[in-house]
Amino acid sequence: MTHKLSDGGQVLHVGMLARVEGEGGMHIEIHNNVVQSVKLNIFEPPRFYEAFLRGRKYTEPPDITARICGICPVAYQTASVEAIEQICGAETTPEIQAMRRLLYCGEWIESHSLHIFMLHAPDFLGFDSVIEMAADYGDVVEMALRLKKAGNDLMTLVGGRAIHPVNVKVGGFYRMPTKLEMLALRPAIASGLEEAFATIKLVSTFDFPEMEQAYEYVALRHPDYYAIERGTVVSTSGTAFPVREFPDHVKEFHVAHSNALHAQLDGAMYMVGPLARYTLNFAQLSERCKAAAKEAGLGETCRNPFKSIIVRAVELAYAFEEALRIIDEWKDGAAPSVTVTPRAGEGCGASEAPRGTIFHRYVLDAEGVIQDAQIVPPTSQNQPAIEADLREAAQSWVDMDDHDLTHRCEHAIRNYDPCISCATHFLDLRVDRS
Amino acid sequence: MTRAAGAEPLVVGLGSPDRGDDGVGPTVAGAIAGLGLAGVRVSAHEDPTDLIHLWEGVDVAVVVDAVMSGHAPGEIVLCEVGRGEGPLPESCWAKTGRGGTHAFGLAAAVELSRALGHLPPRVVLVGIEAVSFDHGAPLSPAVEAAVGPAVAQVRAVLTEASAGLDA
Repeated sequence: MTHKLSDGGQVLHVGMLARVEGEGGMHIEIHNNVVQSVKLNIFEPPRFYEAFLRGRKYTEPPDITARICGICPVAYQTASVEAIEQICGAETTPEIQAMRRLLYCGEWIESHSLHIFMLHAPDFLGFDSVIEMAADYGDVVEMALRLKKAGNDLMTLVGGRAIHPVNVKVGGFYRMPTKLEMLALRPAIASGLEEAFATIKLVSTFDFPEMEQAYEYVALRHPDYYAIERGTVVSTSGTAFPVREFPDHVKEFHVAHSNALHAQLDGAMYMVGPLARYTLNFAQLSERCKAAAKEAGLGETCRNPFKSIIVRAVELAYAFEEALRIIDEWKDGAAPSVTVTPRAGEGCGASEAPRGTIFHRYVLDAEGVIQDAQIVPPTSQNQPAIEADLREAAQSWVDMDDHDLTHRCEHAIRNYDPCISCATHFLDLRVDRS
Repeated sequence: MTRAAGAEPLVVGLGSPDRGDDGVGPTVAGAIAGLGLAGVRVSAHEDPTDLIHLWEGVDVAVVVDAVMSGHAPGEIVLCEVGRGEGPLPESCWAKTGRGGTHAFGLAAAVELSRALGHLPPRVVLVGIEAVSFDHGAPLSPAVEAAVGPAVAQVRAVLTEASAGLDA
């Protein structure tokens, strides 16, 4: 819908940005074919949860924070239990960590397959939605559904439910799945692995707009493997610090045009997510994943946001590999949890949500009652980068008509897989021209 | 009554139990499950894409979900969207659940199933007009009052389906 402005300019109003979880607003102002400003405005439920958590028991964050997002509940749960366990001085076992990683693989598989095929691929293939895409790419969509189901099944087995897992607790799990139960899923995981590598090949054939962004990348790094469920914080500028120091480095602040807090790392804009993880931790991918990435045209770093779909496919394959590894190495008999005794203090946890690093911070009193809570979700951290991408993209496409420009801008936003259920409902995209 | 394997009717309650009226789907599904109806498969799900696998090979599926379609709070809206029916009016159904934030909504799940040839011959959507999708909120009074009538609607569809299979 286009309206004339009193100054002779134009406003393009798009009621809803499809295929982005949540609600928000994107306003692009163009004068004389020059992009003047780009503003993303989202609302963040995590702020509600921060208030809701205060006064609750130290055992409650994994169940409460899992409700924030139906797409990445494990990310919230994992960061919250890490933080609480840090405060209480609880050391989990390697088996508990392996099971957390397996659950997290399920979330990565589910989330990445949903985004790659259902939400992002239609942009590249020229369809308005995956429904239209299914007419020409029915086999591909069927494969996507199989991949997503494999992730769902893994989440159901380890987490107790496919969405909002109920088996996670501070200190571990209520119950460990058995080897027999895991082996029942193995054929689907093994088959999914091969289809994930086929996915890398498929998405590598898409046409990618030219764009190179020099943002500082931030991700977790683990000494032993490609970080998913825990790690220390590293960045492309060489910054490195343990997660407990993130409040010293990551500062949140209000901007006038958004209800959501923006974040800076040591005073500068940064970006989290698959591109950051891949660039910072490429060496820790499997040899097969590295080879597939190379064959798909990626180097050891990736700075084109549009190629995030290839990186997600590489991570999808890696998640399947890791799930298989954990299942094959699993031995029954490990205790499902360790005892966690509350004590007063402050603790921080972080994990790699499918769309980027998520930070949690809690303060407990001696009885284990939460005095303060802070949740920094990835989409909030990426807001400035999304705006910067949009500014550049809109400028390079400024001669397009409003329909095509809107579609391209939506595509650029979806590069970030913004999980705006951590944030918002419908996203209005408005382009003001004058 | 004899029934081919996999042909038992399916009832799915869609929505999040933690988001106010979005929980009405799982609430109605729970009530149906509590009736212990023989030969009826009942489940609650939050992700509409689950439907695409759940109803494969099923003859009759009933999906219960919160809707925002402009009707009075608690009003029940029935919609037939099975194979052979016209496309689902997305304007009525896309905003279901989680305050309109399903990344892949119910309407999209129905239409993708239709495109892939997975849509059952008969799918009945039992929509309950919602008021609030607040985090952690209970069902609103109007929607709570609609649970009983919605259960009755689901039972009516199941009875009708059973009669059709018996005939």
